[in-house]
Amino acid sequence: MRLVVVSAGLSVPSSTRLLADRLAAAVQRQASAPVDVEVVEVRDLAVEIAHNLTNGFPGKKLAAAQDAVAGADGLIVVTPVFSASYSGLFKSFFDVLDKEALVGKPVLIAATGGTGRHSLVLEHALRPLFAYLRAVVVPTGVYAASEDWGAEGLAERIERAAQELAALMPLAVRREGPAVVPFADQLAALQ
Amino acid sequence: MQFGIFTVGDVTPDPTTGRTPTEGERIKAMVAIAQKAEEIGLDVFATGEHHNPPFVPSSPTTMLGYVAARTESLILSTSTTLITTNDPVKIAEDYAMLQHLADGRVDLMMGRGNTGPVYPWFGQDIREGINLAIENYALLRRLWREDVVDWEGKFRTPLQGFTSTPRPLDGVPPFVWHGSIRSPEIAEQAAYYGDGFFHNNIFWPADHTKRMVEFYRKRYAHYGHGTPEQAIVGLGGQVFMRKNSQDAVREFRPYFDNAPVYGHGPSLEDFTEQTPLTVGSPQQVIEKTLSFREYAGDYQRQLFLMDHAGLPLKTVLEQLDLLGEEVVPVLREEFAKGRPAGVPEAPTHQSLLTAARKAGEKKAEGKKAEDKKEAVA
Repeated sequence: MRLVVVSAGLSVPSSTRLLADRLAAAVQRQASAPVDVEVVEVRDLAVEIAHNLTNGFPGKKLAAAQDAVAGADGLIVVTPVFSASYSGLFKSFFDVLDKEALVGKPVLIAATGGTGRHSLVLEHALRPLFAYLRAVVVPTGVYAASEDWGAEGLAERIERAAQELAALMPLAVRREGPAVVPFADQLAALQ
Repeated sequence: MQFGIFTVGDVTPDPTTGRTPTEGERIKAMVAIAQKAEEIGLDVFATGEHHNPPFVPSSPTTMLGYVAARTESLILSTSTTLITTNDPVKIAEDYAMLQHLADGRVDLMMGRGNTGPVYPWFGQDIREGINLAIENYALLRRLWREDVVDWEGKFRTPLQGFTSTPRPLDGVPPFVWHGSIRSPEIAEQAAYYGDGFFHNNIFWPADHTKRMVEFYRKRYAHYGHGTPEQAIVGLGGQVFMRKNSQDAVREFRPYFDNAPVYGHGPSLEDFTEQTPLTVGSPQQVIEKTLSFREYAGDYQRQLFLMDHAGLPLKTVLEQLDLLGEEVVPVLREEFAKGRPAGVPEAPTHQSLLTAARKAGEKKAEGKKAEDKKEAVA
Protein backbone atom coordinates (compact mmCIF):
# COMPACT_ATOMS: atom_id res chain seq x y z
CA MET A 1 0.00 0.00 0.00
CA ARG A 2 1.10 3.55 -0.62
CA LEU A 3 1.20 6.12 2.16
CA VAL A 4 2.00 9.74 1.35
CA VAL A 5 3.00 12.16 4.07
CA VAL A 6 2.52 15.88 3.44
CA SER A 7 4.65 17.86 5.88
CA ALA A 8 4.49 21.65 5.88
CA GLY A 9 7.21 22.42 8.44
CA LEU A 10 9.48 25.29 7.48
CA SER A 11 12.58 24.93 9.64
CA VAL A 12 15.26 22.24 9.50
CA PRO A 13 15.07 20.22 11.67
CA SER A 14 11.33 20.61 11.98
CA SER A 15 9.06 19.39 14.77
CA THR A 16 6.31 19.10 12.14
CA ARG A 17 8.43 16.63 10.18
CA LEU A 18 9.34 14.83 13.39
CA LEU A 19 5.64 14.31 14.15
CA ALA A 20 5.02 13.28 10.52
CA ASP A 21 7.74 10.64 10.68
CA ARG A 22 6.47 9.22 13.96
CA LEU A 23 2.95 8.96 12.53
CA ALA A 24 4.22 7.28 9.34
CA ALA A 25 6.26 4.75 11.31
CA ALA A 26 3.22 3.99 13.47
CA VAL A 27 1.06 3.37 10.38
CA GLN A 28 3.69 1.01 9.01
CA ARG A 29 3.61 -0.91 12.30
CA GLN A 30 -0.17 -1.07 12.45
CA ALA A 31 -0.94 -1.91 8.80
CA SER A 32 -1.90 -5.42 7.78
CA ALA A 33 0.16 -5.20 4.55
CA PRO A 34 3.56 -3.62 3.79
CA VAL A 35 3.35 0.18 3.45
CA ASP A 36 5.60 2.28 1.18
CA VAL A 37 6.03 5.77 2.56
CA GLU A 38 6.70 8.85 0.44
CA VAL A 39 7.20 12.21 2.12
CA VAL A 40 6.25 15.47 0.40
CA GLU A 41 8.03 18.43 2.02
CA VAL A 42 5.84 21.37 1.04
CA ARG A 43 8.72 23.77 1.78
CA ASP A 44 10.66 22.39 -1.20
CA LEU A 45 7.69 23.14 -3.46
CA ALA A 46 7.05 26.70 -2.25
CA VAL A 47 8.06 28.46 -5.48
CA GLU A 48 6.31 25.98 -7.76
CA ILE A 49 3.14 26.29 -5.67
CA ALA A 50 3.21 30.08 -6.07
CA HIS A 51 3.77 29.68 -9.82
CA ASN A 52 0.91 27.20 -10.04
CA LEU A 53 -1.38 29.76 -8.38
CA THR A 54 -0.51 32.50 -10.88
CA ASN A 55 -0.14 30.25 -13.92
CA GLY A 56 -2.60 27.43 -13.61
CA PHE A 57 -0.21 24.52 -14.05
CA PRO A 58 2.31 22.74 -11.82
CA GLY A 59 6.05 22.55 -12.38
CA LYS A 60 7.74 19.15 -12.54
CA LYS A 61 8.42 18.60 -8.83
CA LEU A 62 4.96 19.78 -7.82
CA ALA A 63 3.30 17.64 -10.51
CA ALA A 64 5.16 14.59 -9.17
CA ALA A 65 3.97 15.39 -5.63
CA GLN A 66 0.39 15.83 -6.86
CA ASP A 67 0.51 12.49 -8.68
CA ALA A 68 1.87 10.82 -5.54
CA VAL A 69 -0.98 12.25 -3.44
CA ALA A 70 -3.65 11.27 -5.99
CA GLY A 71 -2.27 7.72 -6.21
CA ALA A 72 -1.94 7.17 -2.44
CA ASP A 73 -3.99 4.72 -0.37
CA GLY A 74 -3.68 6.97 2.64
CA LEU A 75 -2.43 10.43 3.58
CA ILE A 76 -0.88 11.91 6.66
CA VAL A 77 -0.97 15.72 6.60
CA VAL A 78 0.91 17.77 9.17
CA THR A 79 1.08 21.54 9.41
CA PRO A 80 2.50 24.00 11.90
CA VAL A 81 -0.07 26.39 13.36
CA PHE A 82 0.19 29.90 11.95
CA SER A 83 -2.15 32.62 13.25
CA ALA A 84 -4.62 30.13 14.70
CA SER A 85 -4.84 27.99 11.54
CA TYR A 86 -2.87 25.87 9.08
CA SER A 87 0.02 27.66 7.37
CA GLY A 88 -0.79 29.44 4.12
CA LEU A 89 1.71 27.29 2.26
CA PHE A 90 0.01 24.11 3.52
CA LYS A 91 -3.37 25.40 2.33
CA SER A 92 -1.92 26.49 -1.02
CA PHE A 93 -0.60 22.98 -1.67
CA PHE A 94 -4.19 21.70 -1.44
CA ASP A 95 -5.54 24.71 -3.34
CA VAL A 96 -3.55 23.70 -6.43
CA LEU A 97 -4.32 20.00 -6.10
CA ASP A 98 -6.96 18.58 -8.45
CA LYS A 99 -10.23 19.06 -6.60
CA GLU A 100 -11.14 15.39 -7.02
CA ALA A 101 -7.75 14.03 -5.93
CA LEU A 102 -8.74 13.31 -2.31
CA VAL A 103 -12.23 11.97 -2.86
CA GLY A 104 -12.70 8.85 -0.74
CA LYS A 105 -9.11 8.87 0.50
CA PRO A 106 -8.37 8.25 4.19
CA VAL A 107 -6.48 11.14 5.79
CA LEU A 108 -4.87 11.51 9.18
CA ILE A 109 -4.72 15.17 10.23
CA ALA A 110 -2.00 16.47 12.54
CA ALA A 111 -0.50 19.78 13.61
CA THR A 112 2.26 21.21 15.75
CA GLY A 113 2.21 24.45 17.74
CA GLY A 114 3.91 26.37 20.48
CA THR A 115 1.06 25.98 22.94
CA GLY A 116 -1.66 23.46 23.74
CA ARG A 117 -4.25 26.25 23.47
CA HIS A 118 -4.17 25.84 19.67
CA SER A 119 -5.05 22.14 19.75
CA LEU A 120 -8.57 22.67 18.38
CA VAL A 121 -7.04 23.88 15.11
CA LEU A 122 -7.42 20.27 13.97
CA GLU A 123 -11.17 20.46 14.44
CA HIS A 124 -11.95 23.99 13.34
CA ALA A 125 -9.48 24.30 10.44
CA LEU A 126 -8.08 21.01 9.16
CA ARG A 127 -11.14 18.77 9.49
CA PRO A 128 -13.46 21.13 7.55
CA LEU A 129 -10.83 21.57 4.81
CA PHE A 130 -10.53 17.82 4.24
CA ALA A 131 -14.26 17.31 4.60
CA TYR A 132 -14.71 19.86 1.80
CA LEU A 133 -12.24 17.88 -0.32
CA ARG A 134 -14.41 14.81 0.38
CA ALA A 135 -11.60 12.89 2.06
CA VAL A 136 -12.31 10.39 4.83
CA VAL A 137 -10.74 12.00 7.89
CA VAL A 138 -9.92 9.56 10.71
CA PRO A 139 -11.54 10.35 14.08
CA THR A 140 -8.31 10.93 15.99
CA GLY A 141 -6.27 13.99 15.06
CA VAL A 142 -2.82 14.44 16.56
CA TYR A 143 -1.77 17.80 17.90
CA ALA A 144 1.66 18.23 19.43
CA ALA A 145 2.48 21.40 21.40
CA SER A 146 6.06 22.05 22.51
CA GLU A 147 5.33 20.67 25.97
CA ASP A 148 3.90 17.41 24.53
CA TRP A 149 7.30 16.22 23.36
CA GLY A 150 8.32 15.68 26.99
CA ALA A 151 4.97 14.54 28.29
CA GLU A 152 2.95 11.37 28.41
CA GLY A 153 0.03 10.83 26.06
CA LEU A 154 1.46 11.80 22.67
CA ALA A 155 2.71 8.31 21.85
CA GLU A 156 -0.71 6.81 22.60
CA ARG A 157 -2.50 9.36 20.44
CA ILE A 158 -0.09 8.64 17.58
CA GLU A 159 -0.74 4.90 17.81
CA ARG A 160 -4.51 5.35 18.02
CA ALA A 161 -4.63 7.67 14.99
CA ALA A 162 -2.26 5.41 13.02
CA GLN A 163 -4.42 2.39 13.75
CA GLU A 164 -7.49 4.21 12.44
CA LEU A 165 -5.70 5.23 9.24
CA ALA A 166 -4.19 1.78 8.67
CA ALA A 167 -7.65 0.20 9.00
CA LEU A 168 -9.09 2.47 6.28
CA MET A 169 -6.23 2.38 3.76
CA PRO A 170 -7.31 -0.87 2.03
CA LEU A 171 -10.63 0.86 1.25
CA ALA A 172 -9.13 3.96 -0.38
CA VAL A 173 -10.43 5.30 -3.69
CA ARG A 174 -7.53 5.86 -6.08
CA ARG A 175 -7.72 7.92 -9.23
CA GLU A 176 -5.70 7.23 -12.38
CA GLY A 177 -6.42 9.39 -15.45
CA PRO A 178 -9.66 11.17 -16.39
CA ALA A 179 -12.86 9.40 -15.41
CA VAL A 180 -15.24 8.56 -18.25
CA VAL A 181 -18.79 9.86 -17.93
CA PRO A 182 -20.54 8.24 -20.92
CA PHE A 183 -21.96 10.98 -23.12
CA ALA A 184 -25.37 9.37 -23.48
CA ASP A 185 -25.76 9.55 -19.69
CA GLN A 186 -24.85 13.23 -19.66
CA LEU A 187 -27.34 13.97 -22.40
CA ALA A 188 -30.06 11.87 -20.79
CA ALA A 189 -29.58 13.66 -17.46
CA LEU A 190 -30.75 16.87 -19.14
CA GLN A 191 -34.04 15.44 -20.39
CA MET B 1 -2.17 19.29 -41.95
CA GLN B 2 -3.58 22.78 -41.50
CA PHE B 3 -1.66 25.71 -40.05
CA GLY B 4 -3.11 28.94 -38.82
CA ILE B 5 -3.40 31.76 -36.35
CA PHE B 6 -5.66 31.99 -33.34
CA THR B 7 -6.14 35.23 -31.51
CA VAL B 8 -7.92 36.11 -28.29
CA GLY B 9 -8.25 39.81 -29.12
CA ASP B 10 -6.88 41.21 -25.87
CA VAL B 11 -6.03 44.89 -25.59
CA THR B 12 -2.73 44.82 -23.69
CA PRO B 13 -0.35 47.73 -23.10
CA ASP B 14 3.03 47.46 -24.80
CA PRO B 15 5.35 47.25 -21.76
CA THR B 16 8.29 48.74 -23.65
CA THR B 17 6.44 51.94 -24.58
CA GLY B 18 3.54 51.98 -22.10
CA ARG B 19 1.18 52.53 -25.02
CA THR B 20 -2.20 50.79 -25.12
CA PRO B 21 -3.88 50.48 -28.52
CA THR B 22 -7.44 51.74 -28.81
CA GLU B 23 -10.20 49.19 -29.33
CA GLY B 24 -10.50 50.36 -32.91
CA GLU B 25 -6.79 49.89 -33.53
CA ARG B 26 -6.87 46.42 -32.03
CA ILE B 27 -9.87 45.35 -34.10
CA LYS B 28 -8.23 46.61 -37.30
CA ALA B 29 -4.98 44.92 -36.24
CA MET B 30 -6.79 41.59 -35.95
CA VAL B 31 -8.15 42.02 -39.48
CA ALA B 32 -4.67 42.92 -40.76
CA ILE B 33 -3.30 39.78 -39.09
CA ALA B 34 -6.01 37.66 -40.71
CA GLN B 35 -5.24 39.05 -44.16
CA LYS B 36 -1.54 38.53 -43.56
CA ALA B 37 -2.24 34.93 -42.60
CA GLU B 38 -3.64 34.29 -46.06
CA GLU B 39 -0.81 36.20 -47.75
CA ILE B 40 1.89 34.05 -46.11
CA GLY B 41 0.11 30.82 -47.05
CA LEU B 42 -1.57 29.82 -43.79
CA ASP B 43 -4.81 27.83 -43.88
CA VAL B 44 -6.80 29.13 -40.90
CA PHE B 45 -7.62 32.32 -39.02
CA ALA B 46 -9.56 31.90 -35.77
CA THR B 47 -10.85 34.68 -33.55
CA GLY B 48 -11.82 34.45 -29.91
CA GLU B 49 -15.10 35.61 -28.43
CA HIS B 50 -15.28 37.68 -25.28
CA HIS B 51 -17.82 39.97 -23.69
CA ASN B 52 -15.63 41.72 -21.16
CA PRO B 53 -12.71 44.15 -21.30
CA PRO B 54 -9.80 44.03 -22.05
CA PHE B 55 -11.00 41.90 -24.97
CA VAL B 56 -12.56 43.30 -28.15
CA PRO B 57 -13.98 40.43 -30.22
CA SER B 58 -17.58 40.26 -29.00
CA SER B 59 -18.98 39.76 -32.49
CA PRO B 60 -16.97 37.10 -34.34
CA THR B 61 -19.25 36.69 -37.35
CA THR B 62 -19.14 40.42 -38.06
CA MET B 63 -15.37 40.27 -38.05
CA LEU B 64 -15.15 37.01 -40.00
CA GLY B 65 -17.67 38.25 -42.59
CA TYR B 66 -15.45 41.27 -43.20
CA VAL B 67 -12.35 39.06 -43.39
CA ALA B 68 -14.18 36.70 -45.75
CA ALA B 69 -14.71 39.56 -48.20
CA ARG B 70 -11.01 40.39 -48.16
CA THR B 71 -9.61 36.87 -48.52
CA GLU B 72 -9.85 34.06 -51.05
CA SER B 73 -8.79 30.78 -49.51
CA LEU B 74 -8.41 31.28 -45.77
CA ILE B 75 -10.60 29.08 -43.53
CA LEU B 76 -12.40 31.27 -40.99
CA SER B 77 -12.83 29.83 -37.54
CA THR B 78 -13.28 30.72 -33.88
CA SER B 79 -11.26 30.24 -30.73
CA THR B 80 -13.73 29.76 -29.18
CA THR B 81 -17.45 30.26 -29.80
CA LEU B 82 -19.28 30.30 -26.49
CA ILE B 83 -21.69 27.38 -26.67
CA THR B 84 -22.72 28.14 -23.09
CA THR B 85 -23.99 31.72 -23.11
CA ASN B 86 -24.85 32.17 -26.80
CA ASP B 87 -28.25 31.11 -28.00
CA PRO B 88 -27.72 27.99 -30.16
CA VAL B 89 -30.41 29.25 -32.55
CA LYS B 90 -28.42 32.42 -33.18
CA ILE B 91 -25.17 30.44 -33.60
CA ALA B 92 -26.88 28.16 -36.15
CA GLU B 93 -28.10 31.14 -38.16
CA ASP B 94 -25.05 33.38 -37.86
CA TYR B 95 -22.58 30.74 -38.97
CA ALA B 96 -24.78 29.35 -41.75
CA MET B 97 -25.00 32.93 -43.05
CA LEU B 98 -21.21 33.26 -42.82
CA GLN B 99 -20.81 29.94 -44.59
CA HIS B 100 -22.79 31.23 -47.59
CA LEU B 101 -20.91 34.53 -47.72
CA ALA B 102 -17.52 32.81 -47.40
CA ASP B 103 -18.30 30.03 -49.91
CA GLY B 104 -17.93 27.37 -47.26
CA ARG B 105 -14.62 28.56 -45.80
CA VAL B 106 -15.98 28.27 -42.24
CA ASP B 107 -15.61 26.00 -39.28
CA LEU B 108 -16.10 26.54 -35.56
CA MET B 109 -14.47 25.78 -32.29
CA MET B 110 -16.87 25.42 -29.36
CA GLY B 111 -15.82 26.35 -25.87
CA ARG B 112 -17.10 27.35 -22.49
CA GLY B 113 -14.17 29.72 -21.89
CA ASN B 114 -15.70 32.65 -20.08
CA THR B 115 -15.35 33.91 -16.55
CA GLY B 116 -18.06 33.62 -13.90
CA PRO B 117 -19.74 37.05 -14.23
CA VAL B 118 -20.28 36.64 -17.99
CA TYR B 119 -22.84 33.87 -17.47
CA PRO B 120 -25.41 35.91 -15.51
CA TRP B 121 -25.00 38.80 -17.97
CA PHE B 122 -26.43 36.39 -20.54
CA GLY B 123 -28.97 34.85 -18.19
CA GLN B 124 -26.99 31.71 -17.40
CA ASP B 125 -25.15 30.11 -14.50
CA ILE B 126 -21.50 29.00 -14.64
CA ARG B 127 -22.28 25.97 -12.48
CA GLU B 128 -24.27 24.67 -15.45
CA GLY B 129 -21.34 25.23 -17.83
CA ILE B 130 -20.91 21.62 -18.93
CA ASN B 131 -24.65 20.98 -19.14
CA LEU B 132 -25.13 24.15 -21.21
CA ALA B 133 -22.37 23.01 -23.56
CA ILE B 134 -24.04 19.64 -23.96
CA GLU B 135 -27.65 20.75 -24.41
CA ASN B 136 -26.95 23.80 -26.57
CA TYR B 137 -24.68 21.89 -28.91
CA ALA B 138 -27.16 19.02 -29.25
CA LEU B 139 -29.77 21.58 -30.34
CA LEU B 140 -27.34 23.36 -32.67
CA ARG B 141 -26.62 20.09 -34.48
CA ARG B 142 -30.32 19.46 -35.02
CA LEU B 143 -30.93 22.99 -36.29
CA TRP B 144 -28.24 22.49 -38.92
CA ARG B 145 -29.33 18.99 -39.90
CA GLU B 146 -33.15 19.04 -39.70
CA ASP B 147 -35.25 21.47 -41.73
CA VAL B 148 -38.03 21.69 -39.16
CA VAL B 149 -37.25 21.29 -35.48
CA ASP B 150 -39.55 20.66 -32.52
CA TRP B 151 -37.47 20.92 -29.39
CA GLU B 152 -37.77 21.25 -25.66
CA GLY B 153 -34.92 21.45 -23.17
CA LYS B 154 -33.80 22.73 -19.84
CA PHE B 155 -32.09 26.00 -20.68
CA ARG B 156 -33.90 27.59 -23.60
CA THR B 157 -37.45 28.42 -24.55
CA PRO B 158 -39.03 25.53 -26.55
CA LEU B 159 -39.21 25.52 -30.35
CA GLN B 160 -42.21 24.38 -32.37
CA GLY B 161 -41.93 23.98 -36.12
CA PHE B 162 -38.81 26.11 -36.25
CA THR B 163 -36.58 26.35 -39.32
CA SER B 164 -33.20 27.94 -38.86
CA THR B 165 -32.30 30.11 -41.85
CA PRO B 166 -30.35 30.19 -44.03
CA ARG B 167 -29.91 26.44 -44.28
CA PRO B 168 -26.24 25.38 -44.22
CA LEU B 169 -24.45 25.82 -47.55
CA ASP B 170 -24.99 22.74 -49.80
CA GLY B 171 -26.79 21.13 -46.86
CA VAL B 172 -23.41 20.62 -45.16
CA PRO B 173 -23.04 22.13 -41.66
CA PRO B 174 -19.69 23.66 -40.71
CA PHE B 175 -17.19 21.22 -39.18
CA VAL B 176 -16.98 21.64 -35.41
CA TRP B 177 -14.01 21.39 -33.07
CA HIS B 178 -14.52 21.24 -29.33
CA GLY B 179 -11.93 23.17 -27.40
CA SER B 180 -11.15 22.07 -23.89
CA ILE B 181 -8.11 22.28 -21.70
CA ARG B 182 -9.03 20.13 -18.74
CA SER B 183 -12.61 18.85 -18.95
CA PRO B 184 -12.86 15.20 -19.96
CA GLU B 185 -16.62 15.76 -20.48
CA ILE B 186 -15.88 17.98 -23.47
CA ALA B 187 -13.33 15.56 -24.95
CA GLU B 188 -16.05 12.93 -24.50
CA GLN B 189 -18.57 15.15 -26.32
CA ALA B 190 -16.20 15.61 -29.27
CA ALA B 191 -15.59 11.85 -29.38
CA TYR B 192 -19.31 11.02 -29.20
CA TYR B 193 -20.15 13.07 -32.28
CA GLY B 194 -16.94 12.29 -34.15
CA ASP B 195 -16.11 16.01 -34.12
CA GLY B 196 -12.64 17.49 -33.78
CA PHE B 197 -10.93 18.06 -30.44
CA PHE B 198 -8.71 21.09 -29.99
CA HIS B 199 -6.43 21.09 -26.97
CA ASN B 200 -5.15 24.55 -26.20
CA ASN B 201 -1.89 23.41 -24.69
CA ILE B 202 -0.20 26.82 -24.56
CA PHE B 203 -0.05 27.02 -20.77
CA TRP B 204 0.25 23.31 -20.13
CA PRO B 205 3.04 20.78 -19.85
CA ALA B 206 3.20 18.02 -22.46
CA ASP B 207 2.08 15.17 -20.21
CA HIS B 208 -1.24 16.90 -19.47
CA THR B 209 -1.93 17.48 -23.17
CA LYS B 210 -0.97 13.90 -23.88
CA ARG B 211 -3.47 12.58 -21.31
CA MET B 212 -6.34 14.66 -22.70
CA VAL B 213 -5.62 13.85 -26.36
CA GLU B 214 -5.23 10.13 -25.64
CA PHE B 215 -8.52 10.16 -23.76
CA TYR B 216 -10.30 11.79 -26.73
CA ARG B 217 -8.72 9.40 -29.24
CA LYS B 218 -9.71 6.36 -27.17
CA ARG B 219 -13.32 7.54 -26.83
CA TYR B 220 -13.50 8.50 -30.55
CA ALA B 221 -12.72 4.87 -31.38
CA HIS B 222 -15.13 3.66 -28.68
CA TYR B 223 -17.99 5.48 -30.44
CA GLY B 224 -17.11 3.78 -33.74
CA HIS B 225 -15.90 6.75 -35.78
CA GLY B 226 -12.59 5.08 -36.68
CA THR B 227 -9.33 4.12 -35.06
CA PRO B 228 -7.82 6.31 -32.32
CA GLU B 229 -5.24 7.46 -34.89
CA GLN B 230 -8.02 8.72 -37.17
CA ALA B 231 -9.49 11.10 -34.59
CA ILE B 232 -9.27 14.80 -35.51
CA VAL B 233 -6.89 16.65 -33.21
CA GLY B 234 -5.81 20.29 -33.10
CA LEU B 235 -3.18 21.94 -30.92
CA GLY B 236 -2.16 25.48 -30.05
CA GLY B 237 1.26 26.98 -29.71
CA GLN B 238 2.85 30.37 -29.24
CA VAL B 239 6.17 31.61 -30.52
CA PHE B 240 8.40 34.62 -30.81
CA MET B 241 11.16 34.48 -33.38
CA ARG B 242 14.15 36.35 -34.65
CA LYS B 243 16.81 34.94 -36.98
CA ASN B 244 19.21 34.96 -34.06
CA SER B 245 17.74 33.27 -30.99
CA GLN B 246 19.47 35.62 -28.53
CA ASP B 247 17.78 38.59 -30.22
CA ALA B 248 14.42 36.88 -29.85
CA VAL B 249 14.94 36.33 -26.13
CA ARG B 250 16.17 39.89 -25.54
CA GLU B 251 13.29 41.46 -27.46
CA PHE B 252 10.51 39.26 -26.07
CA ARG B 253 11.57 39.19 -22.40
CA PRO B 254 9.94 42.50 -21.35
CA TYR B 255 6.70 41.41 -23.03
CA PHE B 256 6.80 38.04 -21.29
CA ASP B 257 7.69 39.51 -17.90
CA ASN B 258 4.75 41.92 -17.96
CA ALA B 259 2.06 40.08 -19.90
CA PRO B 260 -1.15 39.48 -17.94
CA VAL B 261 -1.03 35.79 -18.84
CA TYR B 262 2.68 35.12 -18.29
CA GLY B 263 4.19 37.85 -16.16
CA HIS B 264 5.30 37.78 -12.55
CA GLY B 265 5.34 33.98 -12.45
CA PRO B 266 8.00 31.55 -13.65
CA SER B 267 10.94 32.82 -15.69
CA LEU B 268 10.84 32.88 -19.48
CA GLU B 269 13.32 30.01 -19.43
CA ASP B 270 11.19 27.81 -17.11
CA PHE B 271 8.07 28.60 -19.06
CA THR B 272 9.58 27.73 -22.44
CA GLU B 273 10.92 24.49 -21.02
CA GLN B 274 7.55 23.37 -19.70
CA THR B 275 5.05 24.63 -22.28
CA PRO B 276 4.82 25.07 -26.08
CA LEU B 277 6.08 28.68 -25.83
CA THR B 278 9.16 28.96 -28.04
CA VAL B 279 11.31 32.07 -28.06
CA GLY B 280 14.19 31.71 -30.44
CA SER B 281 15.16 31.08 -34.04
CA PRO B 282 12.79 29.70 -36.69
CA GLN B 283 14.74 26.44 -36.47
CA GLN B 284 13.95 26.16 -32.76
CA VAL B 285 10.28 26.81 -33.47
CA ILE B 286 10.32 24.06 -36.09
CA GLU B 287 11.92 21.57 -33.73
CA LYS B 288 9.58 22.33 -30.85
CA THR B 289 6.44 22.19 -33.00
CA LEU B 290 7.49 18.89 -34.57
CA SER B 291 7.94 17.48 -31.07
CA PHE B 292 4.19 17.92 -30.37
CA ARG B 293 3.61 14.88 -32.58
CA GLU B 294 5.58 12.73 -30.13
CA TYR B 295 2.87 13.11 -27.50
CA ALA B 296 -0.26 14.01 -29.47
CA GLY B 297 0.22 11.63 -32.42
CA ASP B 298 -0.22 12.69 -36.06
CA TYR B 299 -2.67 15.55 -35.82
CA GLN B 300 -4.64 17.76 -38.19
CA ARG B 301 -4.45 21.39 -37.17
CA GLN B 302 -1.77 23.57 -35.61
CA LEU B 303 -2.79 27.08 -34.59
CA PHE B 304 -0.27 29.66 -33.40
CA LEU B 305 -0.99 32.53 -31.04
CA MET B 306 1.15 35.38 -32.38
CA ASP B 307 -0.48 38.66 -31.31
CA HIS B 308 -0.04 38.30 -27.58
CA ALA B 309 1.53 40.05 -24.59
CA GLY B 310 1.06 43.55 -26.04
CA LEU B 311 3.32 43.11 -29.08
CA PRO B 312 2.75 45.94 -31.56
CA LEU B 313 1.12 45.08 -34.90
CA LYS B 314 4.31 45.81 -36.84
CA THR B 315 6.21 43.20 -34.83
CA VAL B 316 3.39 40.66 -35.18
CA LEU B 317 3.42 41.09 -38.97
CA GLU B 318 7.20 40.58 -39.02
CA GLN B 319 6.66 37.41 -36.98
CA LEU B 320 4.11 36.22 -39.51
CA ASP B 321 6.57 36.77 -42.35
CA LEU B 322 9.09 34.53 -40.59
CA LEU B 323 6.37 31.98 -39.88
CA GLY B 324 5.26 31.89 -43.52
CA GLU B 325 8.71 31.94 -45.10
CA GLU B 326 10.82 29.81 -42.83
CA VAL B 327 8.67 27.76 -40.48
CA VAL B 328 5.41 26.54 -42.01
CA PRO B 329 6.85 25.23 -45.31
CA VAL B 330 9.31 23.07 -43.37
CA LEU B 331 6.61 21.96 -40.94
CA ARG B 332 4.32 20.94 -43.82
CA GLU B 333 7.07 18.82 -45.31
CA GLU B 334 8.25 17.27 -42.05
CA PHE B 335 4.76 16.53 -40.69
CA ALA B 336 3.93 14.79 -44.00
CA LYS B 337 6.90 12.45 -43.54
CA GLY B 338 5.99 9.21 -41.85
CA ARG B 339 2.32 10.19 -41.59
CA PRO B 340 0.39 6.90 -41.74
CA ALA B 341 -1.91 6.55 -44.78
CA GLY B 342 -5.04 6.12 -42.63
CA VAL B 343 -4.67 9.46 -40.83
CA PRO B 344 -7.18 11.87 -42.41
CA GLU B 345 -6.72 15.57 -43.11
CA ALA B 346 -8.83 18.09 -41.22
CA PRO B 347 -12.33 18.14 -42.74
CA THR B 348 -13.18 21.11 -45.00
CA HIS B 349 -16.45 22.13 -46.61
CA GLN B 350 -15.31 20.46 -49.83
CA SER B 351 -14.33 17.18 -48.21
CA LEU B 352 -17.56 17.07 -46.18
CA LEU B 353 -19.60 17.80 -49.30
CA THR B 354 -17.85 15.04 -51.25
CA ALA B 355 -18.44 12.61 -48.37
CA ALA B 356 -22.11 13.63 -48.13
CA ARG B 357 -22.63 13.12 -51.88
CA LYS B 358 -20.97 9.72 -51.74
CA ALA B 359 -23.15 8.72 -48.83
CA GLY B 360 -26.19 10.02 -50.76
CA GLU B 361 -25.27 7.96 -53.84
CA LYS B 362 -24.80 4.86 -51.73
CA LYS B 363 -28.19 5.39 -50.18
CA ALA B 364 -29.74 5.88 -53.61
CA GLU B 365 -28.05 2.72 -54.90
CA GLY B 366 -29.25 0.81 -51.87
CA LYS B 367 -32.76 2.04 -52.53
CA LYS B 368 -32.56 1.10 -56.21
CA ALA B 369 -31.38 -2.40 -55.30
CA GLU B 370 -34.26 -2.70 -52.87
CA ASP B 371 -36.78 -1.48 -55.46
CA LYS B 372 -35.43 -4.08 -57.89
CA LYS B 373 -35.82 -6.80 -55.30
CA GLU B 374 -39.36 -5.71 -54.69
CA ALA B 375 -40.08 -5.66 -58.43
CA VAL B 376 -38.73 -9.19 -58.80
CA ALA B 377 -40.76 -10.36 -55.86
